[in-house]
Amino acid sequence: MLKCGMSGSQVKVFGKAIQALSRISDELWLDPSEKGLALRSVNSCRSAYGCVLFSPVFFQHYQWSTSVDMNNGTKSNLNCKLGIKSILPIFRCLNSLERNVEVCKIFTRSDKCKVVIQLFCRHGIKKTHNVCFQESQPLQVIFEKNTCSNTLMIQPRVLAEAIVLFTSSQEEVTLAVTPLEVCIKSSTEESMDLNSSVYSEMFVGPHEFEFFQIGVDTEITFCCKELKGMLIFSEATHAPITMHFDFPGKPMALNIDHMLLEANFVLATLADEPSRASSPQSLCLSQKRKRSDLPCSNSKVGKKDSKGMESISRKVAPRKLYADEILSNISALENSGSPIMKRVNSDTEEEPGSPSLRKCKAKNNLMEVMPKSYFCISDIEHLPPLSKKPGFGVG
Amino acid sequence: MKFRAKIADAACLNHFTRVSCMVAKLARTCTLRIRPHALNFILADPAGGGVSMWCELPQENFFSEFQMEGVSEDNNAIYVELAAENLSRALKTAQNARALKVKLTNKHFPCLTVSIELVSVSSSSRMVTHDIPVKVIPRKLWRNLQEPTVPDADVSIYLPVLKTMKSVVEKMKNISNQLIIEANLNGDLNLKIESELVCVTTHFKDLGEVQVDIRKFLQFLAGQQVNPTRGVCNIVSHKMVHFDLLHEDVSLQYFIPALS
Repeated sequence: MLKCGMSGSQVKVFGKAIQALSRISDELWLDPSEKGLALRSVNSCRSAYGCVLFSPVFFQHYQWSTSVDMNNGTKSNLNCKLGIKSILPIFRCLNSLERNVEVCKIFTRSDKCKVVIQLFCRHGIKKTHNVCFQESQPLQVIFEKNTCSNTLMIQPRVLAEAIVLFTSSQEEVTLAVTPLEVCIKSSTEESMDLNSSVYSEMFVGPHEFEFFQIGVDTEITFCCKELKGMLIFSEATHAPITMHFDFPGKPMALNIDHMLLEANFVLATLADEPSRASSPQSLCLSQKRKRSDLPCSNSKVGKKDSKGMESISRKVAPRKLYADEILSNISALENSGSPIMKRVNSDTEEEPGSPSLRKCKAKNNLMEVMPKSYFCISDIEHLPPLSKKPGFGVG
Repeated sequence: MKFRAKIADAACLNHFTRVSCMVAKLARTCTLRIRPHALNFILADPAGGGVSMWCELPQENFFSEFQMEGVSEDNNAIYVELAAENLSRALKTAQNARALKVKLTNKHFPCLTVSIELVSVSSSSRMVTHDIPVKVIPRKLWRNLQEPTVPDADVSIYLPVLKTMKSVVEKMKNISNQLIIEANLNGDLNLKIESELVCVTTHFKDLGEVQVDIRKFLQFLAGQQVNPTRGVCNIVSHKMVHFDLLHEDVSLQYFIPALS
């Protein structure tokens, strides 16, 4: 059960969060807890995750409670999944919303599986939106930022200037760092030819960052679209973005820490070519070998021939691209049990089989080259429960 | 073949960017000709609708440094083909640039490399590089890319303000695909469309007829962002319309053939 209210200017920030998360996926979880109201989103390929947590003091008033199941007395949270298409239009034209809305109230009616969003505007106008939700336990990604060797904190404007260099046709962006400089560039593919798009690169010196710590020289490649989502949101909060990352293949985290809210985006990165033969890469592989008794081997990482990669990817099921993370639901955490995905009303959920591969057409590049040994949801069930170490926990 | 040039002045950079945006609006690929004294953007499309464009930029008006070495001593020119939008987009990122350098390079394949030195908020420099893939055009195809001859026109008149013409033609586009351009030696120009139900004429003043495809005309007008110092329209009756625009430091000629 959720009941909260916010003012016009808070609605703008809330709306920006929804816009940012809409870049990740078409669905959004509304997840209230004592820590505040979290908005969560995971894309269908499981290569990007976003969460914006609004603390209770962000709102004018904030109430939440667990509901108790009549039959067996178990407590359950609000398991509320909304379609982005239903909720995004409500928060369109944020500038005019900020001017016109005096109060915005959001509350749930669990008897009817609806979220009610009421906008009390000037001149006595009241807009009420009843949005149906699907009961679905939210996904949460746990990512230990403090173990990353590289940390950069930068004002969003600088990143935005860099991102504008890359066209919408270029999906992936590479971030190359050394202790002396940072380079943001188009990711190069093997088969560059005359019809390829412009290759661009931009160098940024360490003094432009608010915090600059590079432990490992590295180059990571990730999807531009989700980064843009995070940038939209950070510009609204005027807070700097912190990037935590390590070696290629390991996901990177983008983080905004603000008094009233906290945003975390975790993006998968492209795994490295084995020609590098650097130790982080082999570490990555051995950890996976221990975990996965999946039939596919890691040798696929080695294929340089892009055609070869394409044919491989068609044979395998869609991969979830998190390395050593625990992809779990919140109740599993509470039970400190195995990270098995649990869903209520699972018949309404899509199976993690080929349908999600269809949706990932845009992410084919990333999907094709990532090593297979990341988990599929269904495969997690076969694995023994993961220990809480190696130190991963949300910051 | 060598080419390197530098633009150090913000106004020149701005103007060059605008010209390249204009070219990008007219066609997807265009030819860039580099000669010791000028750059040309060329669009020759004889097979298609026959629209062709010739744009000349005298290099001293734009570049503070300019060096080139053509294919050979007798043929001291370089012809390359590129996607016009790639160039305009790369130039648009150079809004606050201190300097812009452009040169022909060969990184896996021939590229026009644009290096920009941006001034960031903290007044420190940031380097941005764009490698735009280009295709070198062999000498045997150069024939098709020469400066077109200005036809002997039946009527030659000055153009009215382009923005006005553009808004008129945009509305006309919804009614008909064909536009009749009439001009006479008294300095009158008419834009006329006819359909079954309606006939609309906009008078800029009077006579001398050519029918052209309205979309091509609109495309040409849409590309014009700055009103030229002088714009001349030459009409060869029933054959073609030729627009000759002269800006301060750029000249642009555009040909639209008549619909038969």
